[in-house]
Parts: sequence; C-alpha cells; structure tokens
Amino acid sequence: MKEKLLSEKFYQAMKSKEPRYPNRKALILPALHQAQAEYGWLPKEILAEVAEYIGVHEAQIREVASFYTMYNLKPVGKMHLKICTNVACCLRGADELMEYAEKKLGVKCGETTPDGMFTLSEEECLGACTTAPVMMANDDYVENLDIQSLNHFLEKVKHEH
Amino acid sequence: MSTNAKTLFVQHFWKDSNRTLDYYLAEMNGYEAARKVLGGMTPDQVVEEVKKANIRGRGGAGFPMGMKWSFIPKNSEKPKYLVCNADESEPGTCKDRQIIRYTPHLLIEGLLIGSYAIGCKHAYVYIRGEYVREALLLEAAIEEARAKGFLGKNIFGSGFELEITVHRGAGAYICGEETGLLNSLEGKRGEPRVKPPFPAVSGAFSCPTAVNNVESIANVPHIIRMGGEAFAQLGKIDKSGGTRLISLSGHVNRPGVYEVPAGSMTLRQIIEELGGGVWKGKKLKAVIPGGSSSPVLTADEIDAVYDVEPLMKIGTMMGSAAIMVVDEDTDLVKLLLRITKFYAHESCGQCTPCREGCHWMESLLHKMVHGEAKSTDVDLLVDVAGNIGGKTLCALGDAAAMPVQSFVKKFRSEFDAYVKGQRSHA
Amino acid sequence: MPKCTIDGKEVDFKAGENLVTVAKRAGIEIPVFCYHPGLSVVAQCRMCYVEVEKMPKLQTACSTQAAEGMVVKTQSEAVKKGRAGTMEFLLLNHPLDCPICDKAGECDLQDNSFGHGSEFMRHSEERRTYVDVDMGPVIQKNMNRCIHCTRCIRFGEEVAGIHEMVAIKRGNNIDITTIDGKQLKTEYAGNYSDICPTGSLTLKDFRFRKRAWMLKKTPTVCEGCSKGCNMEVQHEGNVVYRCVPRENLEINKYWMCDEGRFNYQYAQDPSRIVDPMRKAGESWLVTRWDELLTALRNDSGGEDVLFLVGTDLTLEEMKSVQEAARIWAPRAAIRSFGTPGVESSAQDGPKDGILKMKSKTSNLKGAETLGIPPLLGAAKSTVVVVFRGGRAELPRIEAKKAYGVGVFLEKERNSVHAILPGLSFLEKDGTILNHQGTSQTLKRALLPRGKSKALGEILMLVLNQKSSEVNP
Repeated sequence: MKEKLLSEKFYQAMKSKEPRYPNRKALILPALHQAQAEYGWLPKEILAEVAEYIGVHEAQIREVASFYTMYNLKPVGKMHLKICTNVACCLRGADELMEYAEKKLGVKCGETTPDGMFTLSEEECLGACTTAPVMMANDDYVENLDIQSLNHFLEKVKHEH
Repeated sequence: MSTNAKTLFVQHFWKDSNRTLDYYLAEMNGYEAARKVLGGMTPDQVVEEVKKANIRGRGGAGFPMGMKWSFIPKNSEKPKYLVCNADESEPGTCKDRQIIRYTPHLLIEGLLIGSYAIGCKHAYVYIRGEYVREALLLEAAIEEARAKGFLGKNIFGSGFELEITVHRGAGAYICGEETGLLNSLEGKRGEPRVKPPFPAVSGAFSCPTAVNNVESIANVPHIIRMGGEAFAQLGKIDKSGGTRLISLSGHVNRPGVYEVPAGSMTLRQIIEELGGGVWKGKKLKAVIPGGSSSPVLTADEIDAVYDVEPLMKIGTMMGSAAIMVVDEDTDLVKLLLRITKFYAHESCGQCTPCREGCHWMESLLHKMVHGEAKSTDVDLLVDVAGNIGGKTLCALGDAAAMPVQSFVKKFRSEFDAYVKGQRSHA
Repeated sequence: MPKCTIDGKEVDFKAGENLVTVAKRAGIEIPVFCYHPGLSVVAQCRMCYVEVEKMPKLQTACSTQAAEGMVVKTQSEAVKKGRAGTMEFLLLNHPLDCPICDKAGECDLQDNSFGHGSEFMRHSEERRTYVDVDMGPVIQKNMNRCIHCTRCIRFGEEVAGIHEMVAIKRGNNIDITTIDGKQLKTEYAGNYSDICPTGSLTLKDFRFRKRAWMLKKTPTVCEGCSKGCNMEVQHEGNVVYRCVPRENLEINKYWMCDEGRFNYQYAQDPSRIVDPMRKAGESWLVTRWDELLTALRNDSGGEDVLFLVGTDLTLEEMKSVQEAARIWAPRAAIRSFGTPGVESSAQDGPKDGILKMKSKTSNLKGAETLGIPPLLGAAKSTVVVVFRGGRAELPRIEAKKAYGVGVFLEKERNSVHAILPGLSFLEKDGTILNHQGTSQTLKRALLPRGKSKALGEILMLVLNQKSSEVNP
C-alpha cells in the first residue's frame, strides 16, 4: 500500500459529498477542487490518488483535469493573480494592467516570481463585467481595478508576506 | 438603482445582509410562494402558471421556460433532476452573480418550486468555478433554509423532499452550454452532447432533466406570488413576461446590473438613461447587445426595443442581456481578435469546424493586426466563419462566427485598412 | 416497413437506423470519419452532412435517425460546401506525408479529400505539431496526422473496457494519447489501427513493409481460439503482411484480439519445419518423404498405438485421420488435444468478456462432434502419432517412437522423433466449428511452404505407400 499524500481531511470532506451524487464519477470535479485546495496544485501523484479514490483509470482523471483551466497542473505561487483580459475588461484597460503587473513583478504572463510568491496569469471572462477591469487573487475577486489600485494591492500582498 | 418602479431584484442588490434568510422572510415574503405551491397546487398547475407568465429562459437561448418544464416526462421511473445553470460564462454577463450574492433565497425557493413542478428530489446548482465566494454564500443560504425545514424531508408537511447540491465548475466557458454542463456535473470533460436525446429525456445521469438559468429560476417565486398573468404583464411586448436583468459594461459612464420590464426600453435609452451615456464625452461606435457572441450593432442601430424579438428583427440577439458599449476610439479589428481568441480558447475541441476554424480565424485576425495579412484575408475570414456557423455540434461555433461576420459586414473599412497597410500595426 | 427518400430514391429502413446506414443500403455512400457502426455516435467530425427537408441547418447523417417520409439530399450544393469546409479544416494541420504514410491507399482522409475536398489550399499558417509518446509494441502513434475523431478513445472505453486512450487538454491543443508515455495495456490494441481513419495509429508490425494497394486479401477465420473471429489475411508474394478483422455481427462484430491478429507469424517463422526430418541421436536430419511414410505406416499398424488429433485441425482433416486410421492403424486409440485444462467444450468459456475464449484452438467443438475423446494427462504409448495444425499445445509424450504430422517449430520438435511437415491454417481450406457450433470456412491464402504437404495427401500416401511414387 502506497502512502497517501492527501490528508484525512480530504477523505472526510469527500465522504460527506458522496451521498450527494448518484455515482462516484461525479465526485471527480469536487475531489480535484478539494485536493487542489489542500495541495496548491495537482501533481501526477495527487491525480493518481484521486483516481484511486474515485475508482477510475488514472488517464480518465488526467483528461478531465486538463480540460478545465482552474486545475493547476503546474505549481503556482502563493498568490495566483489572474487578470481578466476579455472584452469588457479589455475595453477598460486590462491590457495596460497586465503590462504593468508584468513589469512590476518582473515576470511574463504565465510565469511565477523566483521567490514563489506570485503567479501571473491571463484569465478569460470572470463574470464581473460591470465592475471591469477585474482580477482574481487566489479565491477572491478584485474589482474596478486601475493601475493605482493594482499597485496598492501588490504592495499590500508583498508587505503581508 | 432602477429608474423603473417595477423591479423584482435590483432593489435588494446593495447590502450584504440582504442575503440572509431573516431579510428574505421579513422583506420579501420569503418562502410563501413555496408554501402555497406545496400546500395546494398540483405540479401541472405550477407548470401552467409558469407558462402563463410568458417567461423566456434568461440564459441566452430565450426558450419559454414553462414549455421546457412540460417536456419532462411524468411517468418516468427514473429520478428527475432540476439543474440550475449558474455558469454565467458569456462575456459581458454578470447578473446571476448578483442574484446569488444578494438574493440567494429567491434562487433556493425557485428551485424548491421548480423541483416540485417536475418531480425532482435532488437539484443541482452548477456554478462556475471562479465564483468561489458565491458558491460558499449559496451553500450557507442552503444550510439556513434546511435549518428552517425549507429543504430536506417533508417540507411544509407536504411529504415533498428536496436536497440541493452546489457543484462547482472549474474554468470552461462551454459548461454554460447545457449538455456540456451536464457532462461536467457527471465528472466528465465539459463537452456538449449530441442532441437528441434532449436533457428532458436523458440529461443528468441519463435521467430526465430540466436545465434553467439562475435568473429564470429566481423569477419563479415572483411568478407564483403575483400570478402568471400579472408577471406576464410586467413585460411590455408579446411573448416576453417579467423583467430583465441587464449587465451593462464597457465604455459607459455608469456600468452596472440594471433591471427593466422586458421590452420597456430601447438600447439607446438603456445606454443613455441607465448607463449615463458613453464615457468621457466620446461618441458611440458600436454596441454588442447580448454577450460577446451576439452580432454587433452600429451606433445607428440602437433605437430597437431591447428584447428578444425586436433584436432578432435587426439581425442580432438579446442572448444573456449583456450589453457592451464601444466608443469611437476603439480599434474594432483588435476587439474582434480579442473576442475570437476567447472562443478559440474555449472551444472544447471535439468537433472539427470549431476546433480548427476558431483557431484559424484567430490566426487570420492576428496576422491582420500585425500587418502580415494579405488583402484577400478579409474575405477568407468571412468564408471561414461561414464554414463554422451553423455547422457545429453545439452553439459555440455560431457564437464564434457571428461576431466575425457582423464586425466585417458593418465595419469592413477598418479591416481593409489593416490589410492594405493603411493602418499602423500593433 | 417505413420508408424515406434519399436523393430521390425511396428506401426502406428499420426504426432506429441512422441515415448513414440507410443510405448505404441504397448504394449511397455518405463520407464519415468519427462514425463507426460498432461505437457510440458522437457527431464530431462533421463530415457526414446531409440536407433534410424542413430542417434549416445541415444535419449529420450519423446522428440523424431515419423517419417515415423524411426527404434527404446528400449531394446538394449546401452539403458539398459543408463537406468541403470540413475537409479544409481537417487538412489545416494534417501533414502532407502520404508518400511515407502507411495508411496511404486505405486512408479515409485521403479518400474523402479526393471525393469532397478542394484542390487548393487557403491556409498559410504554421501547422500544429506534437511530440509523440511510445505506445508499446503494437501501435505506432503519429499525433500530427490525427483528426480527433475519437474512435480510439471510444473503442478503448466501449469495447476494450479500458480508458487508456484519452484526450488531454482541449480545443486546438487536444492531444489524443496515453498518459505519461504509458504503453497500451489492452490485448486488443491492433483495432486502434484498423479504426483510425488516418495514419495516426498504425501497426508497428506492418510499418513500412508493404503498400496497402499491393496486398491480396483472403477472407478466412482466425484459429487463435474457439471464438472463430472472422478475419482477412493480407498477403503478397506468398508472404502474409497483416491480418485484420472482418465484420461478423454474430461473432466478433468488427474486432479481433492481438493474439489472433499476430498469430499468423508462427506460420512464416524461419524455424518452422518444412522438410521431412528425423532425429538422429541429438541432431535432426532432413530426410525423404518416402522414408518417413514407410516408417509411419510400419510403426502404427501394431498394438499400443495412440493417434493424437489437434483441436486446431479442420473437420475434414480430423475425419480423414479417423478414416485412414481405420485402414492402416485399426488398433490405434484416437484422442484429441489442444488446451490443457480445456479438454471439452463444457470447460470452454469466455476468457475476458470481450472476445477471447479459454480454448486456444479453433475446433474443439469439431473434435467433439466427430466423437474424438480428449487426451487426459500425458500421451503414453509405444507409438504416438501427433496430427497438429500448429496451435494445439503439445502434451508430454512418453513413447518409443513418436511422429509429428503437421506444423512444428524447431523448438517443439524434440517432443517427437520424426516430423512430416503439414500445412498451417494459412495454406489450407477447411471447416471449423466455433464454440457456438457455428460452422465456418478457412480459406487458403498461401501456397504450401517448402516440402510441406496437405494432411489429406500425407494420409493418402501412407495408405498407398509405395516408395517410388512418393516425391522425395
């Protein structure tokens, strides 16, 4: 028996979700969310453990996980910034924000800062278009962004960590 | 916030505490509609009332909601499911988020009534993965309702039971398409299914399923409370009852989620009266009237009444009622590239025209913007769009093709300027 | 029977049949890529467009069931434009490497491009390319040629029962693959190559060995187990290059296992004995037919003789052994052998729930029908004569003198003292009964190898044995 990478908490959380679905396969998305919340990203070993938990072939988990953009199949920084550059945000200056963030953090979109603090990503529409431009900072939305407020936010995060 | 007296939602969209069950019970006659339904209406009567309300689906397709429910077979031995589509993924749209944030109990009560109407004992809310906080808020509201006995077994002593599960997506536009959503709910890749069979026959877990948008379901308690006919009469034109939540974004002075009685205003009125006009005193160049997939309108075309049929008449669509306003300084070729890039990114890839064509259109537009395109590439672009539109397994192909066709048709000179080298390149 | 109209022809159909099937019956070919009658319908490739009266959009024929009174057009301008559009999309990223592609000549993409595509190319962007993984000994993958029809994924899931081929990522970046370079585990991998409509999944065994159009095709039956999967032997110049399944909805549908597919190899193994040979001390000598025929006749006429009949022989061969024995070895006991532990059809049964049966030979049922009892345990007798097609597993033989008649490889020859080389299933006609008792026909694809002879001829020669009449 291989040693488990996911904690007892993961298995308990999943157990409470099991009765909510008529079959185990439907637990794949919740399990991947839960595993990512715990581990930060989804390395192959974790995906294999999720496959074992669900009771499907590892490849099946991989094909599902790779379909959705929110599952991190590569490590990400402590603060994952996803700047929306879709139409509504783009009309109100998202491209300039992205440029600014790249310069400020010293990384290109899609990269992580060497200290592992920030990962910068481009995001498709986040569904908050009336408060554009918007970004996600880990699980939270930061809305009505401009260069000033973005700068303020980045400074605050740096300061807090 | 609204300029109209008759609104059902937006008056509550301002304060965090409005989302509590206490507020819902005290200020909004919370759960009285469900009590009435479970206490004495038959499922058929509920469906009839919704039919009378003339409510069109608020997700984008605009299909009459009562009719959708009536397709669910009554004598099926299989479980039936009501699935709420909270994927809210069409760019420009962000109304459902407000409903979940401020009036989650309207949605829960709507699910309760809808589940009773179609015979569902376990409803699912499929919420887009990025709405992490909203999913938590909704789960908390569900717990509040359960604690009061509004969910669970033997609700209002009627013998009816219901559980609601919030199921989070994980970042895929295509899961807003109802069969892609159902696959995603089942733990699969969110690839749309071949229809038929339609979800009403074989949907979630191969069982009869109704999939409805958040706003559609959240309107159901209103319909029961005021009666289908009164609800229908809120709408100012035929075949469209109730009010519409409009997400107004882009180059307006006051972007926001507004609510208007269906068909009560023209696009111009919405932009000028609700949105405060184009920002920075600029002129209007274009309007995307129903989410980024809807065919674009020029500044001269916005006197149409903002509703499903009047917009159809002028060759565009209301979609999810997301209006994006574009000012005179905007480069529409670049904007179209941005839109097309989105659909190429979100194509699930299972069917050929969408997988290959969206990416090709993106490449062509990219070349135009970078001064590498040939003069024949504008026509090629339109022809490629024509080979995608109407040819794909789901509507994403159309969603990608319509902006391309309409932008080029209405703003051809901007494209020609790029391919003829009359425009400075990016 | 309900009727619909396709291109002006009135056609009968059964409820539930799709337009591809119904049109085919009327002699109208609708081009497809993702549709396969043995797999679920996904309507993804968008090649099989047809126009259906009263429907505004083009419909995919694979996902449209025929309906009473339906009027279908398969050759309208809209249909042609739709199909040409799909062909163009499919070729955007497909390499033009037909000259070095094994699929050329039997490629759906090539055929449909010829039939429905344009001769001009409007695409000048860079093509999508992939780095391929090794999928194991059976299948060679070339993702650049893939058109994402997903037949392979569905085959794995729906037929082979293993979800090992998957689509990774989405949209334009989809990779159809096994994960982490894992080798295919299924014992049915060869089918991936059969169903692939392009040269994306090809057989390593067949790779670069022969052009598809050079091959002669002989319809026969697999002898790999008692299932009796229908197959086609593809050969040229008396050499088999490939075996592929033939459709038989009652037996194997469209599929066959790898063991059966590659079973032909032993028959053209260089170590197969194709000359009459006898053992001299520890070594083996090539000898003359007449010498062995005389010896066999003389040795088998006495007491304590055991004839072993492989359940890999045809009914005709088994019957001739019985008849011949009656004349020149009347006291010989006749027993069958084939798969240890599966001595009777009562012990036979499905092995994996897909196609494979427990009996590793094709005609166990035939031996039973002819009343040949099975050998239990070792073959103990003064003289043992083994008649064998090539697959029946040799039992332990304890005899003063043992003859092998039929197909033997060098590594198998020490079970006996002399070998009279016979024909393999590729080189003979005959009848076999599968586990259901269905009678099926082996068809000769190749000429005999070396000096090997048909069993009927060997038996006749023994009967009429006069050494001068036998060719050396």
